[in-house]
Amino acid sequence: MVKVSRKSLALAASAAVLGIALPAFYTRAADTAAPAEVALSLRLSPSQYKQSMADIFGPAISITGRFEPETREEGLMAIGAAKANISDTGVERYDDLARGISIQVVSAQHRETFIPCTPQNAKTHDDACTRAFVSNIGRLIYRRALTEEEIQSKVKAAAYAADTHRDFYAGMSAALADMLISPNFLFRQRTTEADPEHPGQTRLDGISKATALSFFLWNSAPDDMLLKAAETGDIHSKEGLKKQVDRMVSSPAVEGGVRAFFSDMLGFSEFETLSKDPQFFPRYTLKVKDESQEQTLRTVVDHLVRRQGDYRDLFTTPHTYLTRSLAALYDVPLVETTDNGEPQHWQAYTYPAGDPRAGLLAQASFVALWSPAGRTSPTGRGKALRELILCQTVPPPPGNVDFKFVQDTSNPVYKTTRDRLTAHRSEAMCAGCHKITDPIGLALENFDSAGGYRTTENGVAIDTSGELSGAKFDGPIGLAKVLHDDPSVTNCVAKKTFAFGAGHMPKSDDPEWQLIQKKFTDSKYNFVELLRQVALSQVLYSVPSSNAKAP
Amino acid sequence: MKTSMMSSMAITRRKALRGMLAGSAVTVGLPILDCVLNESGNAFAATGERLPARFATWFWGLGLGEGDWVPKTAGTDYELPPQLQALKPLQKKMNLFSGGQVFLDGQSNNTHFTGVQGLMTGKVSSTRDYFGSIDTLVGDVIGNGTRFRSIEVACDGDAKTSWSARQNSGPQPAEVSPTALYTRIFGPEYKDPNAAEFVPDTDVMVRKSVLTGVTDERQALMSRLGAADRAKMDNYFTSLRALEQKLAIQLEKPAPMVGCTKPAQAKNDDGHPLTLALEAMERHNIFAGLLAHALACGQTRVVNLAITQGMSGLRKEGDTTSHHTQTHEEPVDSTLGYQKNCAWFQGLYMQALADFATTFDGIKEGDKSMLDRMVIFAFTDHGAPRLHSVRNYPLMTLGTGDGRMKVGMHVPKSGDAVTRIGLTVMQAMGVPLSAWGTQSNRVTSPIAEVLV
Amino acid sequence: MRLTKILRWSLGAALPLCFAVPAMAAETHGYVISWFATATHAADFATNCPENRNGGRTELTIRALIDIGYTREEALDMVKNAAVSTALPADVTKKMENRAIVNGKPQSIYNYPEAVHDPNLETVIGKFAYGFDLGGRTEANKFEDPDTRQKVDNQLWRAVGCTESFRAIPPVMPYPEELAWNLMIDTAPAWVFSITGDDLSKDGKVTVTLDRVTQHMERDASGNVLSNMTYVLEQGTRSHNVLQGEIKDGMLSITPAEIYLEGEMPYYSEIAIRNTHMRINTRNPDAKLVGYWGGYINWTRFIYMYTSRPGNNADSIGLYHALKRMADSDPDPKTGQNRYISTTWRMEATPAYIAKADGKIIASPAPRNTTVPEKVADASVRP
Repeated sequence: MVKVSRKSLALAASAAVLGIALPAFYTRAADTAAPAEVALSLRLSPSQYKQSMADIFGPAISITGRFEPETREEGLMAIGAAKANISDTGVERYDDLARGISIQVVSAQHRETFIPCTPQNAKTHDDACTRAFVSNIGRLIYRRALTEEEIQSKVKAAAYAADTHRDFYAGMSAALADMLISPNFLFRQRTTEADPEHPGQTRLDGISKATALSFFLWNSAPDDMLLKAAETGDIHSKEGLKKQVDRMVSSPAVEGGVRAFFSDMLGFSEFETLSKDPQFFPRYTLKVKDESQEQTLRTVVDHLVRRQGDYRDLFTTPHTYLTRSLAALYDVPLVETTDNGEPQHWQAYTYPAGDPRAGLLAQASFVALWSPAGRTSPTGRGKALRELILCQTVPPPPGNVDFKFVQDTSNPVYKTTRDRLTAHRSEAMCAGCHKITDPIGLALENFDSAGGYRTTENGVAIDTSGELSGAKFDGPIGLAKVLHDDPSVTNCVAKKTFAFGAGHMPKSDDPEWQLIQKKFTDSKYNFVELLRQVALSQVLYSVPSSNAKAP
Repeated sequence: MKTSMMSSMAITRRKALRGMLAGSAVTVGLPILDCVLNESGNAFAATGERLPARFATWFWGLGLGEGDWVPKTAGTDYELPPQLQALKPLQKKMNLFSGGQVFLDGQSNNTHFTGVQGLMTGKVSSTRDYFGSIDTLVGDVIGNGTRFRSIEVACDGDAKTSWSARQNSGPQPAEVSPTALYTRIFGPEYKDPNAAEFVPDTDVMVRKSVLTGVTDERQALMSRLGAADRAKMDNYFTSLRALEQKLAIQLEKPAPMVGCTKPAQAKNDDGHPLTLALEAMERHNIFAGLLAHALACGQTRVVNLAITQGMSGLRKEGDTTSHHTQTHEEPVDSTLGYQKNCAWFQGLYMQALADFATTFDGIKEGDKSMLDRMVIFAFTDHGAPRLHSVRNYPLMTLGTGDGRMKVGMHVPKSGDAVTRIGLTVMQAMGVPLSAWGTQSNRVTSPIAEVLV
Repeated sequence: MRLTKILRWSLGAALPLCFAVPAMAAETHGYVISWFATATHAADFATNCPENRNGGRTELTIRALIDIGYTREEALDMVKNAAVSTALPADVTKKMENRAIVNGKPQSIYNYPEAVHDPNLETVIGKFAYGFDLGGRTEANKFEDPDTRQKVDNQLWRAVGCTESFRAIPPVMPYPEELAWNLMIDTAPAWVFSITGDDLSKDGKVTVTLDRVTQHMERDASGNVLSNMTYVLEQGTRSHNVLQGEIKDGMLSITPAEIYLEGEMPYYSEIAIRNTHMRINTRNPDAKLVGYWGGYINWTRFIYMYTSRPGNNADSIGLYHALKRMADSDPDPKTGQNRYISTTWRMEATPAYIAKADGKIIASPAPRNTTVPEKVADASVRP
């Protein structure tokens, strides 16, 4: 961790004022009572919602509509999900989504696939058929078998809708839409039961455990086998859990979990509001903006899952994936020999040894995402790197800072961003904070605001020397090497991986957590092994002591 | 009909009292349209004040240039400073407040946030807590019984650009796409309040009815949860009730709205992120039109517009530097006394505010305009933008709230808590609050000179 | 046999790869041709066409209607109505199109332009046109190039320069070409250009290639052609051209040669130029190439391509006759009618990578002058 004194916090100027759009996220009013019980439920994220629908209904059902924005806490949406509510507007949006999906599912085109029976009379209700549909699909949507009361309630709703509309399928659609705006679907509820192995204590019940596991590893709802393990109680035994975890980490679906985690950790939600000036960055098209995220996720999955590589090597790996448009952004050639046509294909690409564009931080998903629309901000990149990759906190800026040197790109004396930042940093009140952000951000100055590669700025060669935790280095490769050897990097990803599954950060003094970290280290930072260890451990499923008494 | 009357009553308590003192009883039983239709031209004027009260907030980032915007004299007939020239045609319909501040009470100034936190919620804290903003407190009084409890829009393409937050569930996401907003308000679910015929929509009826299927799950769910999760689910069910309420309202014949016309579908705009100021202004004006029509057609009574987040990323075309960055780095012009580039943005925003209010003013409701019958509260995140200070906030109200606020005044309140302006606005809108805010930001009396 | 083929074969004997560059060559810069159209010089329209008698589509249509027997008033009425309904009645259009009479039968004027009388379009009498001295001997035909101040041959410009269709100032292309180009740019295989030399930042001898690739162009965030994309050469040598050139003061010229590039309708189905000259600025701050190609082209191919385009204007028959009159090269031994016409194209090319199908990169984008913002650089190439 970077140690920053309170005084320097107060003095520090941060990236925020340099134009990085920090989301105005908000937190819920903190409970004032001391050992307050914490809410365990997590709001389903948009990607989890979409993945669940794709898993249940397949790709033919399109999800059109908007979600309630996610909030980020301690660097992760997954933690924000624990505090997230659903507003009026949010319910309205989920209702629109639910009806959009339901209408497609019961449409003439799809009903045979999803509805297991044909009604006696299509102009009225058919309770038996509804019951069959609701129990089947409901189990996947609620991630547990529906109770008899729940089934009855849906059957009743469907009957009313079917009779009013004189259409059996309108009834089915209503029942389905109902389930899709239920808090049983929209929140991953975590409920507890008495723990038979530790009398007097509680544990997550089987269903909650299966749900936690499934969203952690697959970013989606449990499949049938996992639900069965939950229903039979197998999931509570060490062997039963191991069987499921081993099955799940070796399934291709684990890529979904890895993608979701890195999208979250790398702050990809900020892409939603990112734009670049096309006059200055004509190669940064909307397509490239989307593709740059995909590039990173493909790189990550390839390195961590397919190659089972060392997490630290992500920052140096020359292997990536590109489209021709992305290649143009980075100014590298990419030969596609397929015939003239759309779309462009993803191709594996390996940078030659020593190329500064290798590694995750050189990708546009990092350098462009953390830059303002018109020019770079080493401070912003440095801050993002500290917070996203190293789990460190960069303090917010004071209000009254004089930035006269910083971004005057036409200053005849201070031609490069480095020159300007140095001039700015020489002012005492700014020094504290910029010391912890700029030296790492400046190493990435070979990348312009859109991620394009450059070696000069205003005709002057760019100096990319930098410093991190006392280690001096040069350029993105030097930075990547220093990161590679910085234990904060691996600690941070381990903590965030855990939090992605649990909805809160691990307790650093927990022996079981320490064991997970050790195993991660021992595995040479094999990320899939980290997933496996977290999934197998009890910490992921532990109930906070404040909630420990059985309801 | 019934609901709209109730809320009209709520805000006219003071007026009703004065009415009785003056010897003229206020009748509340007659539907508005009956009155309109009674006589050929002026019948509406007699009962026009019973049109529902409406409220809008309007946010722009980064204040106004210091040293230039505060008028030299107080009261009426003050000279409007150059930066506010765009508002000249509206000077007689607005109040300008200067000098107010947010007290930090030892908390650090989270720039672009803490000031608004104090200004809009009355409470400053070190966290990013943001609950119970002025517009929602007003909405609780005047906004029930409409299809939408409120509508929030942002011109920068960011759904998080919103300063409207309910007491329990926190910030409401903003609508960023004019096209989506149009569909949401005036799409297939829209019922013309002035249509002679009203047939309740069967589909809406069914939807409302089957929502009980979700509500049915409440008890079983709650019984399985701990207290914290129960509170969270309570918030969810409150939001769900708002949806039920919205559907219920669609099943009732809407109250006639004399100023209502359905707007034409605007040009396609998906709400993508914008950084060019002029493009944001174009979107702003489309939103202004849609919001004005939504209010005039009784679809909601509270609307909130934000141009950008406080840290505005808007730029002039061909310039890499955002307004926000300009506020920090641009030197104060020694002759002008303010930052010249920043003033360009400020002038633009004031023009937008003028356009916004003029749009509302263009909707006639009997002898008055809709603007006359409502209050627009315009606010910003900082006083002196270069310093990002929370002092000397430029704030405006436009409209009289149907005669409850005096207008045309410059009200200097040097050093006073800015929450006093919030309290004043809320009282004018009928919110039964005699005090508002916490610690140093707590105020116990409104600015009497602007209240009627 | 065309000159390029001979050249290619002779090279091929020594170097198995057509793309092999001279052994000394230090660098090859690649470009994709991102703007290509007839070089217009329409700013001084009033001087070029003092009578201004051709008129636009409306007047030309009225004349065609009169041609098939309507009075001026009737024709005017019909055109007015057409402006509302956007089209003339189908039978009228058909009659107009089939007003060529061949062996007593009505035939399409586009198939039998000779069978329709020459509407006698006004042609350019002004002093200036872009072009090259192609060796034309008729002094009266010579224009002056506004850039080089040399006497130049450009009879195609003389023929077309007074029509509304070609009254365009770059970056606007002549209307018919622009319409077709914009249709094709996102779908048709592109053409690439390379320059090889010891040090391209300096003057000296260079080798130039022109080729067709397998990919179409991509647009950038401003709707222009995306730079630094990689294009792969098509198989075969039909559209492969190797030219000898020289850069002097940054301007590229070539030893006159024949070039051939296969294209795609409704743009030009081919660009086949004899005695090709080039004058291309290689030192633009944004690293784009901007310049001119001139030479002789078969005018009948030009006009048939023109009439088949979606944007073909009512002036195509007039242009046919004008081109025929102005043609200045390659007389038919029997009739004496010239079969080729001098012309000049304006082109822009955007930096690109060029690769062979085997993955070998044979050209890289020229570096941009980074002291100049891209936006400013863009503006600087506007003539």
